[in-house]
Amino acid sequence: MIRGVRGFFGALAALLGAASIAAAQTPPQPRLTIGYVEVAGDPRYEPITGFGRLVLKQRERPFTGAQVGLDEAQALSRVLKIDFALERITVNSPAEVAAAVSQARAARGIQLFILDAPVEAFRPLADAIKGRDVLVFNATATDDTLRRDLCAAEFVHALPSLAMGTDGLVQYLASRKWNNLLVFEGPLPADAVMVKALENSAKKFGARVVARQQFKPGTDPREREKNDPALLSAINRDYDVVFVADHAFDFARQVPYHTVRARPVVGSIDLEPMAWHWTWEHNGAPQVNSRFQKLSGGRHMESADWAAWIAVKMVVQAALRTRSAEFDKLRKFILGEGSFDGNKGLALSVRPWDHQLRQAILLAAPYSVIARAPVEGFLHKTNDLDTLGDDEPESPCRLNR
Amino acid sequence: MRLFAFLAFVLAPIASGLAVQAHAKDTGLIFVSNEKTNNLIVLDPKTYKVVKDIKTSRRPRDMHFSADRSKLYVACGDDDVIDIIDVAKLEVVGKLATGPSPETFALDEKRRRLYVANEEGSTLSVIDIDQNIIVLEVPTGAEPEGVLMSEDGKILYVTSEVGDLVHMVDAEGGHVVQDVVVGTRPRRFAATPDGKELWVTAELSGEVYIIDRAKFSVSGKIEFLPPGMRKTDVTPVGLVMTRDGKTAYVTLGHAAHVAVVDVPSRKIQGYILVGKRSWGITMSRDESKLYVANGFGDDVTVIDAKSRKAIVSVPVGRIPWGVVIDD
Repeated sequence: MIRGVRGFFGALAALLGAASIAAAQTPPQPRLTIGYVEVAGDPRYEPITGFGRLVLKQRERPFTGAQVGLDEAQALSRVLKIDFALERITVNSPAEVAAAVSQARAARGIQLFILDAPVEAFRPLADAIKGRDVLVFNATATDDTLRRDLCAAEFVHALPSLAMGTDGLVQYLASRKWNNLLVFEGPLPADAVMVKALENSAKKFGARVVARQQFKPGTDPREREKNDPALLSAINRDYDVVFVADHAFDFARQVPYHTVRARPVVGSIDLEPMAWHWTWEHNGAPQVNSRFQKLSGGRHMESADWAAWIAVKMVVQAALRTRSAEFDKLRKFILGEGSFDGNKGLALSVRPWDHQLRQAILLAAPYSVIARAPVEGFLHKTNDLDTLGDDEPESPCRLNR
Repeated sequence: MRLFAFLAFVLAPIASGLAVQAHAKDTGLIFVSNEKTNNLIVLDPKTYKVVKDIKTSRRPRDMHFSADRSKLYVACGDDDVIDIIDVAKLEVVGKLATGPSPETFALDEKRRRLYVANEEGSTLSVIDIDQNIIVLEVPTGAEPEGVLMSEDGKILYVTSEVGDLVHMVDAEGGHVVQDVVVGTRPRRFAATPDGKELWVTAELSGEVYIIDRAKFSVSGKIEFLPPGMRKTDVTPVGLVMTRDGKTAYVTLGHAAHVAVVDVPSRKIQGYILVGKRSWGITMSRDESKLYVANGFGDDVTVIDAKSRKAIVSVPVGRIPWGVVIDD
């Protein structure tokens, strides 16, 4: 017993000794920590299943994306004499996000965060950090309402908005002259929001919704007019493509090849607008994908992974170009002159009016990126990337005024 | 007299043909590496006809001749090897193992070493050519790309595409001595013949950075913008410089042009139209012609340096990466 205690103290002394020697040998560099905030049990990461226990899609948190960004910063860390670090902060519910961020700021001096939380976490967090020296990168929420109505200066939306995605998709359809869209709308509120975004995009780029069919997933023969893609697509007017809005996905997967007319399917399946896709082969993307796969144990890099990755890259780039780890300088660079390489072509920057990160949209089929938006021919007077999503005149958010 | 002239006329090609057999020198043959078709296309310098299609390991990219031009080394990114090609036979005769995804490299024949940037390994591999072993792995910033060896072979300059850095590496010691921050996505190098400056292309910021080699700091930069192009299309990658140190030619990637730069004044003198995603560029020994690999055109554009005009574009294979000439 006594020996045990002595052993313990002896070990402790040795540990402390070792620690102090290490500290004496290498003077600590300033440390720039990025907090990664996530919610335990977030339903967005439950696998999407089909009938029975068939797993259609595994959904993973984008933390690995942030880790890849951190790994890439290692050589710069030596040049800048700044240590970059990630701190993973897990809370139990969206309601706890605001307190966790405030606490990390107060107790540990963390000012930069990547937020991996559902949309309901945003409002309380925005209220808690309003006017404070904190910058939060939204890596997982596409909701336009965060850019339009919440409109908070302490956020940067690294992930493209829903509107950017549907704009990109409709640009491509318009470029093929596939202007007539048949819409299948699911029962979830998010499905209706997605259809609304599509309608706005259609208006913007001269496409039209020829019919909006609400479907009801199921096999009840009495409701076949609502649950059978063949019957839903048997309408009098012709259409060029079928757009499916189905966040539950189980209906969407049965639409291709089941429509009455031989028409391609877009939206929730087959041709989807994305921030990132593992088959993107240009702009150095294969190297990013390969680093991600190595670190994730073989998983393909997805849109939210890309967003978490670019958030870290933006912070590192800001430190590099300002030669500083000071928050004010970093924020000024990120929100101002900062120009970033997202490995998908045109240089990225933050829109001053709503803090959305300007970026290309990849229109991806399962095994190939079919097109990148802005699609050739869709021009903007200053930056073609602003043909996607809310441009300054139409955005209700005015963070720059 | 007439007979003599006639004999000379008949014998000259035979004699040069014999020379090819003996030393494989100055054939003038043009070698193009194709990333996607895993081959080198060998073109005749006069007719631009395909002389030979050499199958290589997967994804051949950077190429360098041995000093006597008997061998051509080719970095093959997807098989992690450097293929060795016999220039007289026009076939692969050996392989050297490298780190993951070799892209560009420098060759030091005196010390019998190869320095290879491993795009996916974030290292520079130092390879002993004779023993075919990796002697050292020098950690670099993420995605190392361009490698340039100093004239005395003691220093290597390496770009890190993701780190926006140029490393100065001690070749013997195998460690990074100094770093300098340049523009976004630095790619490749050219050194001025006076040994004073290092020119580096920055692909994403659309610039060439000029580094003072003595101070190892940035002493200037050149921005490109061909008429009618947008800044975002300008993605410079390859560059060559004339031996008198007066003119540099820079390929502008997606902008499909080659920029002509007056080196002393750093002024852009003009732009020459080539194909899409122009990367690799090389000059004939007499500096009369330039050859540009157009990655998204699947062809090579030949430019007359004097008139600064493209003469012809020759189809070669999928995603041509670079060009070298045996002259």
